[in-house]
Amino acid sequence: MIKLDHITKSYMTSKGRHYLFKDLTMEIPGGKSIGLLGKNGAGKSTLLRILGGIDYPDSGRVVTDSRISWPVGLAGGFQGSLTGRQNVRFVARLYVPEEQVPEKVKFVEDFAEIGKYFDMPVKSYSSGMRARLTFGMSMAFDFDYYLIDEVSSVGDTSFRQKSADLIEQKRQSASVILVTHNLKRLAEQCDVAVILGQGQAQYFDDIAQAIEVYESYAQNKA
Amino acid sequence: MMSTNPDRPVPPRRSGFQIQAAAIRALFLRELQTRFGGYRLGYFWAIMEPGMHVLFMVLLLSTVMGRTIPGMSYGLFLVSGILPWFMFSNIITRALGAVSANKGLFNYRPVKPIDAVIARAALELSIYFWVYVVMLMVLAWMGEPVSMSNIPLLLLAWSMLWLLSFGISLVMMVLGHYSEEVSKVVSIATRILYFTSGILYSVHAIPQQYQIYVLWNPVLHAIEYIRHCISPAYPADHISLAYLTVTTIVMLFVGLLLYKYRERRMMTST
Repeated sequence: MIKLDHITKSYMTSKGRHYLFKDLTMEIPGGKSIGLLGKNGAGKSTLLRILGGIDYPDSGRVVTDSRISWPVGLAGGFQGSLTGRQNVRFVARLYVPEEQVPEKVKFVEDFAEIGKYFDMPVKSYSSGMRARLTFGMSMAFDFDYYLIDEVSSVGDTSFRQKSADLIEQKRQSASVILVTHNLKRLAEQCDVAVILGQGQAQYFDDIAQAIEVYESYAQNKA
Repeated sequence: MMSTNPDRPVPPRRSGFQIQAAAIRALFLRELQTRFGGYRLGYFWAIMEPGMHVLFMVLLLSTVMGRTIPGMSYGLFLVSGILPWFMFSNIITRALGAVSANKGLFNYRPVKPIDAVIARAALELSIYFWVYVVMLMVLAWMGEPVSMSNIPLLLLAWSMLWLLSFGISLVMMVLGHYSEEVSKVVSIATRILYFTSGILYSVHAIPQQYQIYVLWNPVLHAIEYIRHCISPAYPADHISLAYLTVTTIVMLFVGLLLYKYRERRMMTST
């Protein structure tokens, strides 16, 4: 369950204050995967981060008892001069007790399949190897929600394929909060949706209806 | 949802304190590895690097400055001043850029800005305190009188200075995040503090009527107290442990208050 309690988020721009959403209140029931819809700049990625507890609204609060992942595919948390193993160990220490750290590291090592590079500095990795490592890490830990932002991430095809695989693997036990431009995938993988636009956010407990509304809205604009 | 799925046991929930402790520990080890893990002799350099620096200064300055310190040798005097100072100045200057330097880590929900500062401060303490212990052993081996009679008070003085550094570093982190220009002012201010903390010279060399000005500096009190502990003949009648304690508590209070007030802003996109 994730509850948004009167949240407002805005940015200061040269033309004054720009609101992504104002006084947004909603309750998303547990076990539902959430799709975020909206044009570029509507605030999808920001809302994703606010839902994940790693960004904050100007006012209001987000209440949840769920365990929420970091943004999947994120590479910003890597320390380039440390090895893959050291980086994974760092993240594992944040989320599990020390005695479980070796098994998590082992899991990522097996999953990433980058061989001896696992013990070399991350800055020497190709982007493909980095992606393997980050996805291996996301797979290793059990969360109630996975944050997946295909739009802000370096959205190459392999990323999309990998995130689809991740969702497939984890869907028995977990939900996703997904930002994507691919409406077909959104329909397949999400249960509920939030549409963002023109300083407002609207919650739909039916994904098909949300996509319909979003499409007609997008057509009217065009 | 996970809690309704019988196949996957829900791991026990951690308390806020446990989460923070895990985050600080992980950050500490990460920092340690980043700074020293890449070298062949690894952690040996953690002690050796500042150790050599100080040893060189002792050899150089003790011949130049001669016997101007009442009640202790210049080597012991310098070591007891410069190592606590290095700890203090490293903690506060590094805290200035702590938010931007660790931005990527705030994507991991357990990590809060204060954890990065605590981990950093703990690392600086462990480096410089161990260098200090090693240097004392070297000096004792060279035949200098190192007193062992005030160890608890010595540890108290180090702890107090560390807490003071931590309190100030919280203020620095908030200011550094608020404005980048602050770091310029701070680097000038630390330079001034360096000269008014009685590191290279003794406070006793300052004429009585001017001493009251440098005695506003709490770092000086901590350093002078450390000297008094390690060499009881070194006079400490101008030093007030009460003043050090009060300023430490005030700085911690102000630091934590500012931090609490700005924590979210530091983690928020603007």
